Amino acid sequence: MIWLSTRWRIVLMLAPAVVIFTALILYPVGYSLYYSFTDFKGFGEPHFVGLENYAGLMQDPFFWRALQNTFIILVVSIIVLIPGSFGLALLLHRRLPGAGVMRALVFAPAIIAPILVGLIWVFLLDPKLGILSKVLVALGAPDTLQLIGGDTLTPYSVALVFIWSSAGFAMTIFYAGLQMLPADVMEAAALDGATGWQRVRHITIPMMRETFAITSVLLITNVFKIFELVYVLTSGGPVHRSEVLVSYMYFVTFTNLQYGPGMALAVIVTLLGAIVSIGYLFLIRERKRA
Amino acid sequence: MTTKRRPRRGVVIASIAAYLITFLILFPVLWISLLSFQESGQISTRPFSFDTLTLENYVTTFTTLPLLRMYANTLLLAVVSVTLGALISFMASYALVRMVFRRRRLQSAWRLYLLAGLAVPVYILLFPIYRIDLLLGLYGTYASLIVPYVAVSIPFNTLLFTGFLRELPTELEESAIIDGAGLWRLVTGVIVPLSRPAIATVLIFNVVYVFNEFPFASILINNPSLTTVSLAVSQFQGQYTVNYGGMMAAATIVLIPQLIIYAIFQRQVMAGMTVGAVKG
Repeated sequence: MIWLSTRWRIVLMLAPAVVIFTALILYPVGYSLYYSFTDFKGFGEPHFVGLENYAGLMQDPFFWRALQNTFIILVVSIIVLIPGSFGLALLLHRRLPGAGVMRALVFAPAIIAPILVGLIWVFLLDPKLGILSKVLVALGAPDTLQLIGGDTLTPYSVALVFIWSSAGFAMTIFYAGLQMLPADVMEAAALDGATGWQRVRHITIPMMRETFAITSVLLITNVFKIFELVYVLTSGGPVHRSEVLVSYMYFVTFTNLQYGPGMALAVIVTLLGAIVSIGYLFLIRERKRA
Repeated sequence: MTTKRRPRRGVVIASIAAYLITFLILFPVLWISLLSFQESGQISTRPFSFDTLTLENYVTTFTTLPLLRMYANTLLLAVVSVTLGALISFMASYALVRMVFRRRRLQSAWRLYLLAGLAVPVYILLFPIYRIDLLLGLYGTYASLIVPYVAVSIPFNTLLFTGFLRELPTELEESAIIDGAGLWRLVTGVIVPLSRPAIATVLIFNVVYVFNEFPFASILINNPSLTTVSLAVSQFQGQYTVNYGGMMAAATIVLIPQLIIYAIFQRQVMAGMTVGAVKG
């Protein structure tokens, strides 16, 4: 196609994406990074303050709380979602009546706007209104149970909501992985007398190692993006005790108008997510080669 | 495969487990739809009472909620930003995969440059883009949202389009060129029709994103007449305070069309949203 590839044609094709990407993704990242080292107040000249904003965050108990909550959500979600949605994929991969419809239904929460997901779950988790709270109390949980809005349980409830909205998504990835497994290996194992569990344990799981890795990485990056759920369920309260990193960043930047610390937080969130995303890009490149 | 007429016990147990899990996952949505027909006062005390079911919540919602406006706004945003984002990403991807650069390395470097955006979470962009919009005088207009939506879509679109174009055989393009097609006719007449599956995936993925997007909208739109679906939903709690029935009716009204559209395009939506993981 060399005769179509004049220099100006290449520039013309590439320029719009590159210019917009540079101006609205790359430049803003640099901008945030720069302001994370300044004392910018929204007006006047920003002064360079070195690592002061980062040091300030290290002294900020709300930051540590947000980090802790983010990791609680991360750990609980991954522990439940990876085996859970893999099991669900195995289940829905069998020839059950209505399996196709169920796969579609289970995926549905993934397309609901996170802000709406949060609102729906208020009516399950709220101590006064929530059906789940009432059921748990009826089953013997203390009357004072606060699934959201209390001191300790909110991150676990956020994890539950995240699990709900991601289970079908993760199941769909596992299901696609299951379908790519060579059928002859399975048949051979079945002929050799391997039970269902043995086949899963010794053939399916080892062969899908990559799918497990990719799903985990995607779910982890999605956990770092959780914002709306916290925003709707508790707004981070009481007194920032249920904040996650992103919601706290949003508060510091757009409510408190402390741009320096806010951008420092944004940089930290980005770094945490970037480490995981680079792993993801690495994984899909490895697969291309294989 | 065994061809017994009566299902084995394992299948029965598996089916029951699957139905139960599916029901549990659907339960929250069913629950709020049920509550939306309940009198507000009853929801906190007796949510199960069937004698107090009412349509009143829907009447309130239809009269208080700017349904038409918020859907029209969001649709406009989605159509403009998704079209622009897909268009410029497709152009760039075509250049990055098919055109011949004088320096090969530069070609893959540009691709990696755009793909690096996959690692950038939108949250680090919020404040800078807010400032840029203020500076350019876009703040509070649709353009303030369209611009970041287009930008944010570029990395994923490029990943998908370049991946697709690489696997596409070149014979058809070559014969079109031999027949004397120029770049424009080649792309519009041959490449785009062949790329329809990838384009559909990109469009669906991005439309879902724009419809559900909240952080940018919450910061860049301050005018109620420009409200989007997500923004309107975020205000339900303040708007309906203790009118829980109204809140649930509003939530249901937003949810139902989304689920209907999902039901129609179910296969494509599931493929589109997981394609990053499945195909790479």
